[in-house]
Amino acid sequence: MTEVTTLPDWTAIAPALALLGTAFVLLLADMIDPDDSNGTALTGISVTGGLVALGFALWYLLAGTGQPGASQEPTEGAIELFGDALVVDGMSLFFSVIITSVVVLVALASHEYLREHPYQAEYYSLVLLASTGMVMVTAANSFVTAFISIELVSLPSYALVASLKTNEGSVEGGLKYFLIGALSSAIFAYGIALVYVATGSLQFGAVEIAIADGVGFDSLLGLGMLMILGGIAFKIAAVPFHFWAPDAYEGAPAPISAFISSASKAAGFVLGFRVFVDVFGTATGVFDWVDAFLILSIVTMTIANFTALKQDNVKRILAYSSVAHAGYILIALAAFTGSVEGEISILGAGMAHLFVYGFMNTGAFLFIALAEYWDVGRTVEDYHGLGNRAPFACAAMTVFLFSLAGLPIGGGFFSKFYLLFATVTGGQELLGAALIINSVVSLFYYTRIVRAIWIEEPGEDLEPGEYPTGLYAAIAVAALATILLIPAFGFVIEYAEIAARMIGG
Amino acid sequence: MSDWIAIGALAVVAVVIPLSMMFISWLIRPSVPEQGKRATYESGEVPTGSSRQVKFNIQYYMVALLFVIFDIETAFIVPWTVIFDGAVEEVGFAQAFAPMAVFIGLLVVGLAWAWRNGAVEWVRSARAERQRVE
Repeated sequence: MTEVTTLPDWTAIAPALALLGTAFVLLLADMIDPDDSNGTALTGISVTGGLVALGFALWYLLAGTGQPGASQEPTEGAIELFGDALVVDGMSLFFSVIITSVVVLVALASHEYLREHPYQAEYYSLVLLASTGMVMVTAANSFVTAFISIELVSLPSYALVASLKTNEGSVEGGLKYFLIGALSSAIFAYGIALVYVATGSLQFGAVEIAIADGVGFDSLLGLGMLMILGGIAFKIAAVPFHFWAPDAYEGAPAPISAFISSASKAAGFVLGFRVFVDVFGTATGVFDWVDAFLILSIVTMTIANFTALKQDNVKRILAYSSVAHAGYILIALAAFTGSVEGEISILGAGMAHLFVYGFMNTGAFLFIALAEYWDVGRTVEDYHGLGNRAPFACAAMTVFLFSLAGLPIGGGFFSKFYLLFATVTGGQELLGAALIINSVVSLFYYTRIVRAIWIEEPGEDLEPGEYPTGLYAAIAVAALATILLIPAFGFVIEYAEIAARMIGG
Repeated sequence: MSDWIAIGALAVVAVVIPLSMMFISWLIRPSVPEQGKRATYESGEVPTGSSRQVKFNIQYYMVALLFVIFDIETAFIVPWTVIFDGAVEEVGFAQAFAPMAVFIGLLVVGLAWAWRNGAVEWVRSARAERQRVE
């Protein structure tokens, strides 16, 4: 690196600071006139804040901030802040890009969806606070910052799921999410405490060194790792910690379902990657977390896909599809080999899939937001004939669904192909077979929605309502990104592997 | 795994003792069903109405939440003031003062927002106004 000037180190967390600042600007804007919220201004502030954060994250990622320079080893170059409590490296920036992209889409799409919502400023500032937490999770380098960031993600999410205060489904979903979330936070904190007892430290690097030196309390360490695994499995909604997901996604406002199922899942996975591969990478002898993730991955994708087959509610189908995708991405941890070269391609595949998933899954939930905006109804039958009414949005939905299924119409094809390749690299043929079988199963329910939209005749005359600009723009951007990720996938996987090399090496 | 056996044994004992106590007392106690035993215990008073009739005004909850702002503030300010002089000598006034100014600034924004949105205005109940005796 031959940079003439470099920014001070603390500016490396600028994406998080931008999101936090925007959340407070929204509260200040709400103070001008609390009783009458100006939806356009609030959406404008949120989208601008999200774009600024996205801009910082992309700029840093492309400029090589926190990544190894030309003269450095491929594992060096991370910027450590606040006494190593935070670390900004390739992985944290890669995931910050995913999260801030989803935030921009969700904020844009919420504009019309919230037209009669009485608490718009609160809604937007909670979204931005939760995304601040997610960006902090990607940079967490100690169990304390990880736990606090996870809580900063969770608490606004509970409120957002229940934000349709007069809707029973929304309140019920929020309560279930809160109760299960509180339980898993407690388990996660207990796990952290046990790891601290065994290793005497909370900082990731120090824990890693303590484990490499050998600890005297193997059983406590193993139990702590199991509990941390449980806490992370809740965040990513993996079976058997997925029970909240269908109810919360179904009850929540659809843009929030998109936000939680894409961005929150990415934040859970980034913690999983960092904690298990980087910190507990040498502790597989204490507690064989690779086998645990192997079981979790196969069970998650199988149960979720077969349950999705039986659903009639489109939002629930997509909720189970997002649980199934957690199972696919878990391959990145389940195929862990311990060898550096294998690890880079395996982890890189998981990260690249999360990147593509961020756009296609958000887009699919935003289509549901559009259907809810038009009061179309919630079941697959209600979607009959939507293709005649809104051909553009339905074409985008088709792209999202087939990309989620892994057909070569969107980036989802390549990311799933890389995941399959990762199972071969990791020598987990069983996992690869499960991935293929489940992808075939998932094609049934994705096709069912597509068929309902395009082929079935509408039951009653659908009145073409007004076309919400913000929602359409968000869906168009997500669809464009999903399609463009086919030619750009090589670019994504390159950065994913740089990120993977820094933690896996 | 020997230390796990001890923990497992303790767990078994912890479950077995209360269960056996309940079982033995069920075996040896006489059974005298009586109306008074089934009534809700209210310090010797005859129970009146349902316990769900006792309703708290939700605004007490808002006050408690606002209190938490000041509570947290105190918990952070006190240790900060104790080391402030030393910290100024160590890193200079700006470095020692700015973080706390930012922290309190964030709290003030939150408090001001809650105030502006009417969290500290006591909503009067229409019925209470009607029944009021001066």
